[in-house]
Amino acid sequence: MKISQDFTFRTSIRSTAVALAVLAAASPALAGSGQPGHGHGDMPKQGHMMEGMKMGGHGAPGHHGAMAAIGEPGKPADVTRTIDITMQDNFYEPEEITVQAGETVRFRIINKGTLLHEFGLGTTAMHAAHQKQMMVMMEHGMIEADRINPEKMKMDHGDGHMMKHDDPNSILLEPGKSGEIIWKFTKPMALEFACNIPGHYESGMMGPVRIK
Amino acid sequence: MRRLMLAALAAILLAPATARAGTYDLTIGKAAIDVAGKDQTAMTINGSVPGPVLRFKEGEDLVINVTNTLGEDTSIHWHGLILPYRQDGVPGISFPGIKPGETFTYRFPAQQAGTYWYHSHSGMQEAIGMYGALVIEPKMREPFRYDREYVVVLSDWHPDDSPHEILSNLKMSADYYNYQQRTLSTFVEDARKMGFGPALADRMAWGDMRMMPSDIADVSGFVLLMNGKNPEQNWTGLFKPGERIRLRFVNAAAMTFFDVRIPGLKMTVVQADGNNVRPVPVDEFRIAVAETYDVIVRPTENKAYTLFAESMARTGHARGTLAPEMGLTAAVPDARPAQFLTMADMGMAHGDMAGMDHGRMDQGKMDHGSMMKGMEHGAMKMPEGDHKMPDGSMMKGMDHSQMGQGKMKGMDHSQMGHGMMKGMDHGKMGHGAMMSSEPKDDPFYAPGSGLMPKAANGGKFLSYADLKAFRPLYPERESTRVIEVRLTGNMERYVWSINDVKYSDAEPIKLKFGERVRFKFINETMMTHPMHLHGMWQILDNGSGKFNPAKHTISIAPGTTVEADIEADAEGQWAFHCHLMYHMASGMFRKVVVERETAEIAR
Repeated sequence: MKISQDFTFRTSIRSTAVALAVLAAASPALAGSGQPGHGHGDMPKQGHMMEGMKMGGHGAPGHHGAMAAIGEPGKPADVTRTIDITMQDNFYEPEEITVQAGETVRFRIINKGTLLHEFGLGTTAMHAAHQKQMMVMMEHGMIEADRINPEKMKMDHGDGHMMKHDDPNSILLEPGKSGEIIWKFTKPMALEFACNIPGHYESGMMGPVRIK
Repeated sequence: MRRLMLAALAAILLAPATARAGTYDLTIGKAAIDVAGKDQTAMTINGSVPGPVLRFKEGEDLVINVTNTLGEDTSIHWHGLILPYRQDGVPGISFPGIKPGETFTYRFPAQQAGTYWYHSHSGMQEAIGMYGALVIEPKMREPFRYDREYVVVLSDWHPDDSPHEILSNLKMSADYYNYQQRTLSTFVEDARKMGFGPALADRMAWGDMRMMPSDIADVSGFVLLMNGKNPEQNWTGLFKPGERIRLRFVNAAAMTFFDVRIPGLKMTVVQADGNNVRPVPVDEFRIAVAETYDVIVRPTENKAYTLFAESMARTGHARGTLAPEMGLTAAVPDARPAQFLTMADMGMAHGDMAGMDHGRMDQGKMDHGSMMKGMEHGAMKMPEGDHKMPDGSMMKGMDHSQMGQGKMKGMDHSQMGHGMMKGMDHGKMGHGAMMSSEPKDDPFYAPGSGLMPKAANGGKFLSYADLKAFRPLYPERESTRVIEVRLTGNMERYVWSINDVKYSDAEPIKLKFGERVRFKFINETMMTHPMHLHGMWQILDNGSGKFNPAKHTISIAPGTTVEADIEADAEGQWAFHCHLMYHMASGMFRKVVVERETAEIAR
């Protein structure tokens, strides 16, 4: 079950879009980051600013070019292995994961802590970008230390700009809740699983995904 | 012999299976240290400054033998530890002290975890080297992880004067150590900037009050130390790129507040005063005298980083390095310009000006500064009635002559700072404000304060408002009464006091065992006072409700009111004082007695 499924981020999408535009202007590679099929191999770090966050209103199918780079959402029928992830305050068990390239893995995730936690798959740069957004969500009260605030999440911008925390590579879980992600790891690369709630990644709630 | 062995055996058998006993030996003596270009004598614990890092385990039964080889009494106080009051190490309150040649054995269980420290509580021995860090490893896994850790003890050393000389110099002239006094040449400079009239008015205003805006720190001339090394000696901690490093900062200085940063690294604050807090990534933090903060940093590049701890008054810095190998250094930042106190710091920038008692100003309890600039005496009239001063700008046009009329008696410090904190809801703020990286003012400083913390890189500066208990130590409940703790003093005579009474003349503060009381600190002075309560936590009301953080030391900025709850769960008598050495020594101190009601005992 994914908590944030239908919540519409009414937050600072405008400002975020501005930030994105600024970055795009500064980095030629980024300009294409929202385009399907764009190669991400040599992208500068900040190029991944928006990866992992879906932007409604701009969202053409397959616009998540970066997502393909880290793998793709898996089909339940292809699952060959299940990995159980326990989220505590503020750490994961286990602290690292090893998978095979080409493998489709079901992550069964439970939050046994007392705080809100995320399990997200991405590169270091993707997580860094997502941390900034989570900070904004926290400051706006859309997420609190131990819960998602549906009222604030649902607030309507009225300008057609929306953000969703519903990417297939990430899940946000309140205390006591559980959920799953099915992910196909396509090729060997440096990935991390991480909780991007303010301060959590920095204090160690992250670990490497080793793809062999 | 046989009986003794039997007794020992019995003791072993009777001891709870889980308790481990650790015995530690400390020797108090003198040794030479060289931090100012020459050997000078320090009072030492096991021969070094700071003393050894003591590492205990939560749940351990501690036995600590302290041997005094000095020619005078000494003591060791375990700062921030919860323990029976007779083990707390304050001569005259918890025990008689340790006589020359004696060994005193402290026995108490380590019932908490985290970063703390220990120091002499006799005379002013602490100011000349008697301090060290104390780390208690937790039973349970911590809510963060790291690959290596360093204790970083910040302190100050006066190379010219002994603590007794410093105190007597201060008594003689409170400005003795004010090296930043404004002179004719700074007057000329100010006159060029602000015009002759305003510059003169500014000088006259300060002269009237016999105060100086540069009175942020009342003692200067310190050599500032990091783990006992001066900036040139450059204490260095090694790391491998990508490692998480836990830095356990302890401010063991006699008088110096530090603004700490590591250019190029974000620090994630995970613990304050030994208690875990929700992690807060920051660029800089201020550590008051006697506080501790634990941060986690993760340098990913293969290069050196400077640990830079600048004094709040900008009179100097302590410096060290985190480096991938010994000998590597990074650039040392330039000192920031000296800070000057403002009208806000004397409590004039808030509340109802019409009720302020100017009599207090004459006693040097207030400070004033750049906000006075442009004030023209007698030329303007202050409007009657409410005169809210949300910022310093409103001071302009104030009729100074009215301040001498004793009309300001009703000034309510309690209205500032604290009230603002409650129910602060980021969600209610404008989106633009949230996305902008403009740092917000710290609500624990008077609006417009000259001490307002600002990160050197324009980023995030830790505020008390950010500290949220990771696991509250006590359930939230209403306090049954409020005890007003006015922080008072007379700068001219260098007398510091609580509620205008200095320690030697004061009755103890009495608390009933089991009650929850609220201390309402009202800082009526121009100095910042780190108030330390022994034996019990002070649960700082920073608007976080049940997540209000528990601290052993709460720093109260000039012109502010701060409230904290105390669960009176530790019977006995305890020290309660400002941790600035010369404030404590000159009277800002109380005994707190926690007594069981007779009826309670009868039951």
